Amino acid sequence: MLLSESARVTTAHEAGFRVQYPNSKPRAVKVVALDAGSAKLVDDISKMAWNGAAFFKSLSFEDGALPGTSVKAWLNDLAGHTSDLSAEVASADCVVVLASAGQDVQSAAVISELCNLHHKTLVSLIVPHDGATEDEIDMSLRAMRPYAKMLVIAHGRDYIEAMLTALRA
Amino acid sequence: MLKKEQNELVTQTGPGTPMGELFRCYWQPILLSEELPENDCPPVRVKVLSERLVAFRDSEGKLGLIDEFCAHRGVSLWFGRNEECGLRCPYHGWKFDTTGQCIDVPSEPEESGYAKKIKLKSYPLIEKGGVLWTYMGPPERLPPEPAWEFANVPLENSFTSKRLQENNWLQAMEGGIDSSHVSFLHRGDLNNDPLFKGAAGNKYNLSDSKPVFEVVEAPGGLFIGARRNAEEGHYYWRITPWVMPSFTMVPPRGDHPIHGHFWVPIDDESCTAWSFDYHPVRALSDNERNAMKDGKGIHVKYVPGTYRPLANKDNDYLMNREAQKAGKTFSGVEGIGMQDASLQESMGPICDRTKENLVGTDNGIIMARHRLMRAAKALAEKGTLPPGLEIAHQTVRSAAVILPPDQPYKDAAKEALVAKPGVAQTSV
Ligand code: FES
Ligand SMILES: [Fe+2]
Repeated sequence: MLLSESARVTTAHEAGFRVQYPNSKPRAVKVVALDAGSAKLVDDISKMAWNGAAFFKSLSFEDGALPGTSVKAWLNDLAGHTSDLSAEVASADCVVVLASAGQDVQSAAVISELCNLHHKTLVSLIVPHDGATEDEIDMSLRAMRPYAKMLVIAHGRDYIEAMLTALRA
Repeated sequence: MLKKEQNELVTQTGPGTPMGELFRCYWQPILLSEELPENDCPPVRVKVLSERLVAFRDSEGKLGLIDEFCAHRGVSLWFGRNEECGLRCPYHGWKFDTTGQCIDVPSEPEESGYAKKIKLKSYPLIEKGGVLWTYMGPPERLPPEPAWEFANVPLENSFTSKRLQENNWLQAMEGGIDSSHVSFLHRGDLNNDPLFKGAAGNKYNLSDSKPVFEVVEAPGGLFIGARRNAEEGHYYWRITPWVMPSFTMVPPRGDHPIHGHFWVPIDDESCTAWSFDYHPVRALSDNERNAMKDGKGIHVKYVPGTYRPLANKDNDYLMNREAQKAGKTFSGVEGIGMQDASLQESMGPICDRTKENLVGTDNGIIMARHRLMRAAKALAEKGTLPPGLEIAHQTVRSAAVILPPDQPYKDAAKEALVAKPGVAQTSV
């Protein structure tokens, strides 16, 4: 019997002939801490080697109109520089926000608004601290649910690293 | 994306590999009861976790799973004679019992005790829910018997099938937790398959192809909630449990039986895809059972006399481009099970994850891989037993629910996600 094409091409040997050219360009992943607890995590993680991911430890706001949003906001990076939140979101491929369980994360609304405006995916990680209660986690879930396309509760810093690596951040 | 070493870690399950040791912590389904239908029936060859074994049911009904090859000169005991409480090698007549103990070496005087010194490796084999299960880890760590609901409901409530899938276990399992493909790959089947159609929830799947996800760690693995818009600002949630290492369930539709899978490595380039369907509180109807036997829902039609799907790589999966063009099927392949299997086999025997480009909504898959790697390392380095062994970890269910927007499914659907005898599934 003649082998079908599918049978011929699905061997381990044939898998060796996948083209060796890259199939993607680097993507801009912006990682933003929404509270002090996650700022510490972002600080630690940012010290690893990444493919151009940008890390921000906090946001600051100022009243004033911006097209499509109600608040003018800045991101503060780890070196102490500030940059315009809207511009950062506009140039992102994916925005990842980190929130400690039980913390007030109102700033998520502003980021989400900008993600919608610029059609960017917002991924939100809720990071429970040791001993975080169910109530704290629920509060964070409720707070983040309206905004994130993907909402993950992830214990531990190793997951954040794994996720950013998986996303080629 | 995974690095090359990580991909090897999660895909290799042979003896001595970290992921192989992880799999060897659990009971694995390996045969259907129908494959060893009666005492002294023909023995069956089984390869599982890259080990070649032979299974048989002896004259007293005892089940045995032993090294496939005779200790004398290496003949396959698949040729053996299953008689008088043992499997006798047809070459020189050596005989083994269900524990692998050699009980007769005809060339040696019985009094010499020669046979006592010969023993083939064996693993326990138990029967539960129409399935034969083995445990291949160290005897001192023998876990409690499988507590999965499908294997513990009355047999008339369930139907379980298995099929050969010709690729690594992980790319198959990942399909089971990848809720976002349903609105594409299987869209043609939601309203047509007899085991899916008619559920009120189907319309949300079809009208909203961009679900939003919430991944929550569960003690035994994960819950992956996919949320779509329903009426009046409510959300339609489909919640998929994954229990380590390779148990997944599909959220239910209406009063149709609930279903799910087990993905068990045969070797690193093939696996057995187990597909089970059951109703927690009622017997399956004749129509349902016949549809399942006929390869509907998540089951498949077979090459007669085998567990290889009728649509397979040798016939290009019976690709039908007209049906694809007409939108009858999204990929041109018929049947939900084969739609998944054909695409997963097309990735190659072991998917090269160094080349993939995951997106934010792939976090269910990212998290599952991460937990597998973490558990395999903890077992290898510290001897820590992995999640998924406890009865409470196994008594989970998938669910489909409509909830107000401010309620976390992990709380609002908490009860729905626990398998309770005599309580029906929560479904839309
Ligand atoms: S679109 Fe997901 S594998 Fe091609
Ligand atoms: Fe599927």
